[in-house]
Amino acid sequence: MIDPSPPDLLAAIIGASAGSPIDRIRRERPDIVRHTQGSHDVLLSPQDPGGVSPAERALIAWRVASLSGHAGIAAHYRAMLDQRDKALVDAVPDARLATILDHVVRLTTAPGSATRAHIDALRATGLTERDIVAVSQLVAFVAYQVRAAAGLALLVQDPAA
Amino acid sequence: MSPKRFTLDPVDWSAWMPAVQAETATPIQREALANSPSATSEYFLTLAHDVESLAERSPLFHATMYVPRGLRRAERELATVVVSIINGCVYCSSVHARRFVELTKRPEIIRALYDEGLDTKLEPRLRAVVDFAAKLTRSPMAMTTADLQPLRDVGMSDLEIHDLVNAVAMFANANRLMQTLGEPVVGEPA
Repeated sequence: MIDPSPPDLLAAIIGASAGSPIDRIRRERPDIVRHTQGSHDVLLSPQDPGGVSPAERALIAWRVASLSGHAGIAAHYRAMLDQRDKALVDAVPDARLATILDHVVRLTTAPGSATRAHIDALRATGLTERDIVAVSQLVAFVAYQVRAAAGLALLVQDPAA
Repeated sequence: MSPKRFTLDPVDWSAWMPAVQAETATPIQREALANSPSATSEYFLTLAHDVESLAERSPLFHATMYVPRGLRRAERELATVVVSIINGCVYCSSVHARRFVELTKRPEIIRALYDEGLDTKLEPRLRAVVDFAAKLTRSPMAMTTADLQPLRDVGMSDLEIHDLVNAVAMFANANRLMQTLGEPVVGEPA
């Protein structure tokens, strides 16, 4: 079991131990490491969550990671969700949350299929512009995180000789 | 859905919601916009609604695309064009295809990718970049260490492969924001 809130989540997920070849490479890219973690932190635990609660944010991230098939990242967000609101795991979503989750699935699996009507539907549930941007950023971040982890894990398993 | 028309011409982008107005942006929004690729584009003014995430994403994007050493800039741009073609992002592919051409003076490579598809004949190093970017985009969990070999065969270091992974991942992100908060506006012939 990995630390539930490691200071460098991506390193924990791919198993990049301190001093390893991939760790040394990542240290050459400190802004990427810092702002990958920073994006995670502000999207999952913002100072002001606005209209999308911290538990809902964990649910959304868990859904994206699960749909993407990344067990390690999904486990991270599931643990976060369990801690924030365990009941949300199996709850039948109300109309508002169902509209949000439909959009989350669309962004994850068919990003080219979104239309203005989908944004209008989110607004009709009471989401503000900021909430809609935050949901989009969250889905887009987890899509990034899954590919960064899947690609960099290869360099953990098989570093250059 | 209309067929996607990828282009080397400049493309505009229009948001599906009111963007932040530059004149009424808060100081924190202004700062995050100043650190973004363009402080005046409708796209970044839309992202500025959630200023905390924009303030993290812009420096992440900048480091991914422009950090010195490692993968050649043109090859980062090429990788992002491949991702954008797969995800159908006409705007992103236009911007980054033009950056690739600025750096390489080789528009024929982009035209071949647009017209003939990602399987078009390419020199080995570009072929390796395209194949890796395409698979990591479509099937990230099917990647294996065997996918590293074509990159190493053309001489890529692990630092370069790291940069390639991040460029591909960044456009999984960019394409999802661009295509779900608004739409490309392609200029009409005069």
